[in-house]
Amino acid sequence: MLAFAVRRIAISIPVLLVAAFVVFALGTFAGNPLDPLLAKNPPAPPNVIAAETVRLHLDQPLIPRFFSWLGGLLLHGDFGPSVVSTQDIGAELGSRLLVTLRLIALAMVIALVLAVLVGVITAVKQYSITDYSATFLGFLFIAMPSFWLAILLKQAGIDFNVTVGDQVLYTIGASSVPPPPDTWDRIVDILGHMVLPTISLALISYASWSRFQRASMLEVLNSDYIRLARSKGLPRRTVLVRHGLRTALIPLTTVTALDLAAIIGGAVVTERVFQWKGMGDFLLTSIQTDDVYATSSWLLLSAVFVILFNLAADLLYAVLDPRIRYA
Amino acid sequence: MPETPTTLATTPAGADAQDREFTVEQRSQFQLVLRRFLQHRLAMVSLVVLVLVVLLAYVGGWLWKYEAGQITPDNSQPPSFDHPFGTDAVGKDQFAQVLRGTRISLQISVMVALLSTFVGTLWGAVAGYFGGVVDSAMMRFSDLVLTLPLIAVAAMLAHLFGGSWYLIAMVIAGLTWAYVSRVARSVVLSLREKEFVEAARALGATDTRIILRHLVPNSLGSIIVNATLLVATAILTETALSYLGFGVQNPDTSLGLLVSEAQTALTTRPWLFYFPGLFIILIALTINFIGDGLRDALDPQQRKVRQ
Amino acid sequence: MTRTRAASLVAMSAAAALVLAACGGGGGGGGGQGGGGSSTATGLFQNCADANTCNAVPADQLKQGGQVSFAIEKNIDNWNLNSSEGNVFETNMALKPLLPYTFITTPDLKSTLNPDYVTSADVTSTSPFVVTYKINPKASWDDGTPVTADDFVFNWKTQDGRDCPACETAGNGGYDQIASVVGSDGGKTVTVTFSKPYTDWKGVFNSAAPLYPAHIAAQHGDLNTPAGLKSGFDYLGSTPVNYTAGPYKVDSWQPNVALTLVPNPAWWGTKPKLDRLVFRVITDATQEPLALQNNEVQVIYPQPQVDLVSQVAQIPNVSQTQGLGLTWEHFDFNLVNPFLADKALRQAMYTAINRDDIIAKTVGQFNPEVKPLNSHMFIPQQDGYTDAVTPTGQGSGNIDAAKKILTDAGYTGVGTALVAPNGQAVPSFRIRYTVGNAVRQSECELFASYVKNLGINVTVVPTDSLGKTTSSGDFDIIVFAWVQSPFVFGGAQQLWLSTSGSNYGKYNNPQVDQLINEAAASTDIAAATKQLNDADKIMSDDAYVLPLYQKPTFVAVQNTVANVRNNSSLDGPPYNAAEWGLRSQ
Repeated sequence: MLAFAVRRIAISIPVLLVAAFVVFALGTFAGNPLDPLLAKNPPAPPNVIAAETVRLHLDQPLIPRFFSWLGGLLLHGDFGPSVVSTQDIGAELGSRLLVTLRLIALAMVIALVLAVLVGVITAVKQYSITDYSATFLGFLFIAMPSFWLAILLKQAGIDFNVTVGDQVLYTIGASSVPPPPDTWDRIVDILGHMVLPTISLALISYASWSRFQRASMLEVLNSDYIRLARSKGLPRRTVLVRHGLRTALIPLTTVTALDLAAIIGGAVVTERVFQWKGMGDFLLTSIQTDDVYATSSWLLLSAVFVILFNLAADLLYAVLDPRIRYA
Repeated sequence: MPETPTTLATTPAGADAQDREFTVEQRSQFQLVLRRFLQHRLAMVSLVVLVLVVLLAYVGGWLWKYEAGQITPDNSQPPSFDHPFGTDAVGKDQFAQVLRGTRISLQISVMVALLSTFVGTLWGAVAGYFGGVVDSAMMRFSDLVLTLPLIAVAAMLAHLFGGSWYLIAMVIAGLTWAYVSRVARSVVLSLREKEFVEAARALGATDTRIILRHLVPNSLGSIIVNATLLVATAILTETALSYLGFGVQNPDTSLGLLVSEAQTALTTRPWLFYFPGLFIILIALTINFIGDGLRDALDPQQRKVRQ
Repeated sequence: MTRTRAASLVAMSAAAALVLAACGGGGGGGGGQGGGGSSTATGLFQNCADANTCNAVPADQLKQGGQVSFAIEKNIDNWNLNSSEGNVFETNMALKPLLPYTFITTPDLKSTLNPDYVTSADVTSTSPFVVTYKINPKASWDDGTPVTADDFVFNWKTQDGRDCPACETAGNGGYDQIASVVGSDGGKTVTVTFSKPYTDWKGVFNSAAPLYPAHIAAQHGDLNTPAGLKSGFDYLGSTPVNYTAGPYKVDSWQPNVALTLVPNPAWWGTKPKLDRLVFRVITDATQEPLALQNNEVQVIYPQPQVDLVSQVAQIPNVSQTQGLGLTWEHFDFNLVNPFLADKALRQAMYTAINRDDIIAKTVGQFNPEVKPLNSHMFIPQQDGYTDAVTPTGQGSGNIDAAKKILTDAGYTGVGTALVAPNGQAVPSFRIRYTVGNAVRQSECELFASYVKNLGINVTVVPTDSLGKTTSSGDFDIIVFAWVQSPFVFGGAQQLWLSTSGSNYGKYNNPQVDQLINEAAASTDIAAATKQLNDADKIMSDDAYVLPLYQKPTFVAVQNTVANVRNNSSLDGPPYNAAEWGLRSQ
């Protein structure tokens, strides 16, 4: 299994390098990071512009610039100069990754638990009212623009606060400023900030995953070994959970891993609505300011992350499915 | 799909009986699919609704008394008989705006579906048919595209290329084709070893002919389902891009642009927020139901569970 | 080239409403009302006669303690307001209660001395031109180092462009005219000698370019060398402010999230009442009303917009008010276009523009007080404001008058497809605006619909870089905003001289150049004002730029918060942050 993992990673590296170059080149052509400086009124002094040109390596041609960036990244962990001179891209990505991971991880867990529950129930009770309403709701969530839903959720959260007469839910940021001194209050505060963004991110994935889980559960329930188990007289619950659910979970692992990129994308929108200063917020700012090094570093990091996650899913697959063995 | 029997009809005698049976089953298979789809109530209702929306957007927009973008003297009016969806701050009739947005959103998403289906199917079919190094090189590339968060990369590309509707469509298609290529490849892999392909190869058909005339038509079922769902994906992606400020830009418009321009209007001028949003949901929902119906019709297995 | 630091700050503010700043020097401040007694005011701000005392509660009636959070729309990337990168409106507001300065702009838009820092600042000689500052004897940094002439010298040397050529400053205007800065009286008296008379002297060391501590910069370089000055200057930009000479000091800084201030125990003035003052970063203005409603912030200062204003109006226990500020919106022609070089065509097009209608369809929907602006030189709050536009008929929307101008000038096809007197068909023009700015988009669409009546086609083309579009002249007509300089004479030079880099449409009228230059060099304010108004008359007749209106500013507060009021100047509401407090219930 180790050999498999190493080989998979080895295959990914050249692909990543090519991707890094494409991204870097695209970012370079996308705009001139000096534009805001050039457009200033009164004009920025020429020495300022010259200094910026050198600092951002804009005096070098694309290819050497790319390799010096890549070299700096691989050898020294240096992500290159940001258009914001005081900003260290690596440190910034690191701290923002934690913020985003917190959001994504919780949203995925919630979405998975909900999806499995609803998927199994709707499969078992196929064509019941429950099935129809859950199916319809699922499709509805899939069809909703995520920020549209998030804006409605925010309003609902405030109405909830008003109804309760207490500040339970928050609409901005990941915690209060300053955080409450007491540990317990701090946990409550962080949870209060997480509820709305997590729900809005989770609902999107939940909907498609529950559909998927339903289908895969149906397929398993329809299979011969389940019929055999039932005909042996095993209790229904045992059949469903031990034999049915375990098998039906396997495909969901792959789908979850494949959807990670989509969830990271979804988090970009969610972070914007709820003003979480995570990876997504960083990307949007970087794109808008033509911060080539920051944009490229972001995409590279997210690609590495997704590849590793997919690898983990494949390995997990082998654990779950005894038929698969990696040599 | 009719290609298969034609080819088989030219096979040497002796296979005749089997051949005819195959032909008959093929045709009835198609009819079965059609009948199953027609029986799928939700999908049929959705199809009718979607057709109505499309008609409304194109014919309705043409008949409606206000043109999109036309400035009327009524500023920020709530819905009325004269302006069924109200008006915005400058006095543009929101009904006309939504219809125009619907047209452009539909154009974007259909273009995305067509482009990415075309590219993705070819890509996947070629990779799956040749296998080996070609396959792994091509699929590594698809995997790479799949690795990148669609919204993030699309935002970057849209920032690079600008905001006219066809450029946005090309940007989205430039990323979604990879999904299609995976589907196409897996179907082709399973078809590659089928008898009719071997037969064609034995007859000396070229690779191009086998891919285009046999593999692609026979994988059309799953590909059509996918293309349908892509239409919904494209509409939602374009909406998210518009919200982030990287979507369609004026003077073009889209439902996504309309709804993101109205994001502050939820409690103050709700008609600006809800109507374009409802149209997005209506289109995405009906398309998903239609796709679901198509899938069920093509793959009836999962529907017959006995408790 | 001269400039006002404060003005360029706005150039970097909210991307959605990128504003290019007018810059300059010149004497004289503003007069007038600010936002007092405005019909846009609700709750706390109602019936407020004097803009400077709206929502005022004496300190002894305020609750001791509590927290107020103020939303700012940009992260603080660079802490040196005098540097090119750090020169950001939001940073300026957040550092207001920390750094010493000479003059600050009060809500009535007047430059006012802050006696906590400087007890007097006077011109003590006109030849040579000398200004003498008396620093408050108690003024000191929180580590005990007094605020002295050394701080003036450091801030002068880093910004004059000579002593530290490598310092990436926001600009050199004013400082490059200082010949010497000399301290006496234990450094508490500062004598600043200018190389020639400088009527804008209140603009140097003012709240837009506050003093940074020389003794801290000196720890990072020898301030007698250019390299030492540069490293000190850069250090102050890259390190979050951890010193103070103001009522508050920094408690913590969470990048992209919030700057938390607590009272400075060493503060010699009136002690602030709050326990904490938080500047909360909310980069999307549309999220601010909900945050205010949910009491996650108590004060917001976004660009007003029709939904935002009515959304805030629906929130219970929140008051709001608007003021008309220094920023004004306008249409510009690009005279490089051979067709637009013809004055008659320009006059006719501007005459067809209906400014009342534009206002009614944009800012008028949330602020009934917005009126067409009728001067290129002054805003109504400034002394000397004279209506130069109305007499020309421009902006009236009078289509018949516009058609007559064209017919008289020999144009044919008026009202259908316009043909110039030389027989060439008038081509379609492109009008440009910043992408995503809904108000400007509407203004452009309306412009096109008005001139359509004359037989002129205008297509609306957004730009994603207003700065690039203006400086490269890639437009026929454009709409954007200038920030009116509180220092009008230098401001006029910056905007209208044929040699100015900000004269994007390449307007050139020697008569106007002469009048403006004379006004800026004048010692007689009244005569200079008249010269500017004479120039304005000529410019208005030339139909180069059509002023539209002053943009409103908007502040909303939770009713528990006292002493927060609108300040449409570039100092913003935090100009008096030390006085903010919570009402005792």
